[in-house]
Amino acid sequence: MSEPTPAPTDSARLRSRLLPRDVFGVGTVGLRTRKLRTVLTATGIAIGIAALVATMGISSSSRADLGRRLDALGTNRLEVQAGASFQPGTTPALGDDSVVMIRRIGPVQYASGITTVSATVRRTQYVSASETGGISVQATDADLAATLGAGVREGRFLGAADMNLPTIVLGPGAASTLGITSLRDGPLVYVNGTWFTVVGILDSAPLYPNLDTAAFIGAPIAERLFKTAVAPSSVFVVTQPGQVDPVTAVLAATANPQSPGEVQVSNPSDVIKAKNAADNTLTALLLGLGGVALLVGGIGIANVMVISVLERRTEIGVRRALGATKGHVRSQFLVEAILLSTLGGVLGILLGVGITVGYAAVQGITFSMPAVAALIGFGAAIVVGALAGISPAGRAARLAPADAIRPA
Amino acid sequence: MNVVDLVDVVKTYDSEPPVHALRNVDLTVAAGEFVAVVGPSGSGKSTLLNLVGALDRPTSGVVRIAGQDISALNDAELSGLRGHHIGFVFQSFNLIDGLNAADNVGLGLVYSGVPASRRNALAREALDRVGLAARADHAPGRLSGGERQRVAIARALVGEPALLLADEPTGNLDSVTGASIIETFQRLHQDGSTILMITHDQTLAAATPRQVTMHDGEIVAEPVPA
Repeated sequence: MSEPTPAPTDSARLRSRLLPRDVFGVGTVGLRTRKLRTVLTATGIAIGIAALVATMGISSSSRADLGRRLDALGTNRLEVQAGASFQPGTTPALGDDSVVMIRRIGPVQYASGITTVSATVRRTQYVSASETGGISVQATDADLAATLGAGVREGRFLGAADMNLPTIVLGPGAASTLGITSLRDGPLVYVNGTWFTVVGILDSAPLYPNLDTAAFIGAPIAERLFKTAVAPSSVFVVTQPGQVDPVTAVLAATANPQSPGEVQVSNPSDVIKAKNAADNTLTALLLGLGGVALLVGGIGIANVMVISVLERRTEIGVRRALGATKGHVRSQFLVEAILLSTLGGVLGILLGVGITVGYAAVQGITFSMPAVAALIGFGAAIVVGALAGISPAGRAARLAPADAIRPA
Repeated sequence: MNVVDLVDVVKTYDSEPPVHALRNVDLTVAAGEFVAVVGPSGSGKSTLLNLVGALDRPTSGVVRIAGQDISALNDAELSGLRGHHIGFVFQSFNLIDGLNAADNVGLGLVYSGVPASRRNALAREALDRVGLAARADHAPGRLSGGERQRVAIARALVGEPALLLADEPTGNLDSVTGASIIETFQRLHQDGSTILMITHDQTLAAATPRQVTMHDGEIVAEPVPA
């Protein structure tokens, strides 16, 4: 008998090694040979990712659109309102000189107040005075339209010459309630015994939706005909750009030096933005549904991987015989699960972007998709794939080579 | 140099009752030998192949393959030993359906860290050695049984292993095709390959220079080499 050969000292020479590029190649074989299964399994993930991406995209598009519309109106607008009075019995109102005082603040470009007139607007005197149709009559000055940033749909706004004349301008809601769509026939409306000529119909002012149903007349004629003392319920202010904060700081004290605490100062675009941000119930619901779809998709992948490991027992045995380590087998099935899920993720991102593009087109808003939405979708797919693959890959790795290769 | 050294090898499976698959087996295969292990089902042939193939470890005794005592190796080192020094040929070929013939052969080098381009060149050379150069780009499904087994032999050869292990390589083939596979092995043997083949077919075994007969986990007869 010959002497046993001494064991080679260079044991590194014996190590199994799988090149990184081959990790990928080995991980795709199972997917390529079972294409229908691959597509069906990936679809589950695709739906979940599409829901997440589309929700983020639609929400982002809507928000960007609102932001753009508000910015177009200018963020340098403020509203001063008479708040609740601390003293019972007194009317919470701003003084008759509050508008004048506010105009004296340096960076204020425009200021204009509205005082509610106790009168009703009707088409004729035969309509009952109690049927106001929700239209309020507001006494104001010629600066109001510019201050509100409201466009005029028909005719013109009240000018300085109109202040003491029976002329009236209608908000869009008031005009449609009264059935006045055009000024061609010189429509008249009946305001507590006096016929007023409608000289203009406003466009809706997005920042001031409650003025849609108002009708505006000059303050002097309101005082003359209806004994309305000027005491604005609201004063609208436009500051020079970038001067909102300093003006805000002094507005209350300027509008009501006696009791500034009874005056509320707000920024209408902030109010709308805050309202919109708070209105996230639907977004949360859709994100939740996307998460559930993703979970179900992940379970689908785990399920398919378990089956795949059972079916490919012999393949696992052959690979072990060809030199694959436990780690190589584990990586093969883990990569397969992650690739499967990533494929679904990519499909889902495309689908989600498509849904958002379609939504934006239908709504007539500008498409906006935060890059982070795609990244989140992609990352979520990888994480789900990895989580789904861990257990099946571990099973594959733990198979004893001798058992795998020759099923009993 | 001996490629295979089995000294007093025992393999017992802990079932109830325990199965004594190998009882004190001694076997030596020198480089360049072509050995057939014959015996009925349950004689311990497959267990012997698992040990010689470094797929399993003995209960006691020493199994030394290409100079390495496999009891001293961990799972990763056993994998390395298999990948670098042992080529397997199975009864049911066990090719991977999604890969063409050349890629299946190249799989024998994937776990040795050989880059793809070099794998492909070596795989085509190995296919040429088994007479299948023209089928390199065919999927296994488009090959006959004999061709598939020759692809499997090429896969076992491609890493130039110290030992070629064949487990009933003609068991799924008709006798004519089986004879051509044995001829292939004989040619490889003449070129210097060390081959250990397991079979229960006595006529097949008769075509090999050396036969080892097993029965109930023991080597019962081995003609003295001429």
